[in-house]
Amino acid sequence: MTGRPASPVTESPPLLDIENLTVGFRTGRETASIPLQGVNLRVPRATRMALVGESGSGKSLTAAAVIGMLPKGAEILAGSIRLDGEEMLGASKQRIRDLRGRQIAIMFQNPRASLNPVLTVGGQIAEVIRTHSDAGRRESRRQAIDLLDQMGVSDARRRAGDYVHQYSGGMAQRAALAMALSCRPDLLIADEPTTGLDATLQQQVLELVVEQVATRGASLLLITHDIAIARQTCERTAVMYAGRVMESGPTASVTERPANPYTGALLRAFATVDEGRMYAIPGTVPTLLGPLSECPFANRCPDVADECRDIEDREVACVKA
Amino acid sequence: MHLAVYVLRRLAYMLVALFGVSLIAFVVTRVLPGNPAYMIVGVMADETTVAAVTERLGLDLPIHEQYFRYVQQLASGDLGDSWRTRNPVTTDIGARWPATIELGTTALILALAWSVPFGIISALRRRSISDRLANFISGLGVSIPEFWLGLILLLFFFGAKEWAPAPIRPLLEWAPAPIGRTLGSPPAHTTGLFTVDAVLARDWEAFRTAAHQLILPAATLALVVGAPLLRVTRGFMRETMSSHHIRSARALGVPERSIVLRHALPNVLLPVSTMVAIMYGYLLGGTVLVEFVFAWPGIGKYAIDSISASDFAPVLAAVLLSALSYLVVYLVMDILHFMIDPRTRT
Repeated sequence: MTGRPASPVTESPPLLDIENLTVGFRTGRETASIPLQGVNLRVPRATRMALVGESGSGKSLTAAAVIGMLPKGAEILAGSIRLDGEEMLGASKQRIRDLRGRQIAIMFQNPRASLNPVLTVGGQIAEVIRTHSDAGRRESRRQAIDLLDQMGVSDARRRAGDYVHQYSGGMAQRAALAMALSCRPDLLIADEPTTGLDATLQQQVLELVVEQVATRGASLLLITHDIAIARQTCERTAVMYAGRVMESGPTASVTERPANPYTGALLRAFATVDEGRMYAIPGTVPTLLGPLSECPFANRCPDVADECRDIEDREVACVKA
Repeated sequence: MHLAVYVLRRLAYMLVALFGVSLIAFVVTRVLPGNPAYMIVGVMADETTVAAVTERLGLDLPIHEQYFRYVQQLASGDLGDSWRTRNPVTTDIGARWPATIELGTTALILALAWSVPFGIISALRRRSISDRLANFISGLGVSIPEFWLGLILLLFFFGAKEWAPAPIRPLLEWAPAPIGRTLGSPPAHTTGLFTVDAVLARDWEAFRTAAHQLILPAATLALVVGAPLLRVTRGFMRETMSSHHIRSARALGVPERSIVLRHALPNVLLPVSTMVAIMYGYLLGGTVLVEFVFAWPGIGKYAIDSISASDFAPVLAAVLLSALSYLVVYLVMDILHFMIDPRTRT
């Protein structure tokens, strides 16, 4: 069994350690934009971490960099990504493929599109199992059925032979979770896993993800735009804005005593109706055409000060915190 | 159960379609100027002879009655007679269709052999040399007229190099057995496809000459038919490779080989096979221009010869046969999809 040792008293490296991750998009020879401007993020072992931010803040791009699947045209300009102490940037393709699924797994939003329409659901899970173990066809199939059963797919033996078009959205997300967890990864990245599901299903799927990740002693990196989901499912929260992590820490501290004015503004925007009106942060997310020398939130910040305009040599967060 | 009902319904549609095709083709041939009676008896014949022939052919009747007679004839399996070859049309077609089937099938196999792998490779390696080459060749294939390509190939391989045989003009064009497909005597008749018959009879000399005659027209059609197949394959492959389920499988470490062959390929071949059916239907109906250029004694050449002789019955039969080929190939492909594609089963 892969029971993990209890975290030792001495500092062990975090499971995932992202330092100063800077990613740019190039058009031709020039770097046209820098959507990740030095992301710092640490996910400890057996911890659930939420990565919160609005669209375009760089959450999904960060996840893509971690699994080594950046979109075409994107390139890493600086930084490091260490998984369990091992540097991922510059690792061989073979090594990265070997780690995918086995040590790090990802599930995406839109589960029905994430499964192949012409292969059986069970067959797809079984293939991932065979890829990373010595299990044969029969054994991998048995494990796939087991996994579906654990994820609460009823009549798993029969459902394993079905195709994704025969699954409902919620069922498909359960199957996608089974596939992602099939090789006992240490880290599960869930990229907006419940977007597109209705409220009840959303709740069920989130509970299932939390429960399954916990039973396996794995860590979860939950990417979401909804700070309420973070509050409800994760012990730690990192808030991203304009390609940087603005603030991170225990979810309770971050959401109750936000140190960064952006977190505060985001919380206000998610808070229920305030005097009959919804709060909206004034202005828009800056377009990151080059490296920023000022706080990216400076132009929208209610508490902006002169020193916010010159942070060149500093790790961001907030000068006022 | 499900399938049987579906097939029956499709067969009924097929009858309706054939009925429509026969009606249009019939009207078109009858309103064309020119009385075939003159062609039969010669322009020098006297009025009474012409009138007698006209009456014998039923050409003096109103057109709807002529059509009614024709459909009655069709129902009893009679396609009429060709005055040009003096044979029942069914006999003529029986002698010529195998030539078209042989040419069309060979061309399709050649087309599939080059276009589908090429399309997949060029989709996987965008902007590589193979992608550019694929683009160039498929561009040529869709834009060059097939008769011109045929002529160029003839000019080069026969005219300049003498690697390929000259197309043999059949000496007795009206003879029931097409003799334009080999230099020697055709192999013992089993299927009517010379290459297949030669293999069955283990007559390797006949196989060599038959294949030799076949290669240029088949290559011409293979380029023309393969070009759109390549484009479609490449398009669907690109689309599939950038789909969410491929990204998910990759993200879980599924090896690239399996991504391409097991995850992507079936998703590509399903839509591509529809295109293959369209192409095969086209080829089986007789490719008039290529058959003409290579003097290939198939249905296409039969049709064009009959048109120039105002020989109605064979023209109508060729049109019907062409429509029937399409319909049957579509039906077979749909049944295959029904059985292969899990999405159509529930």
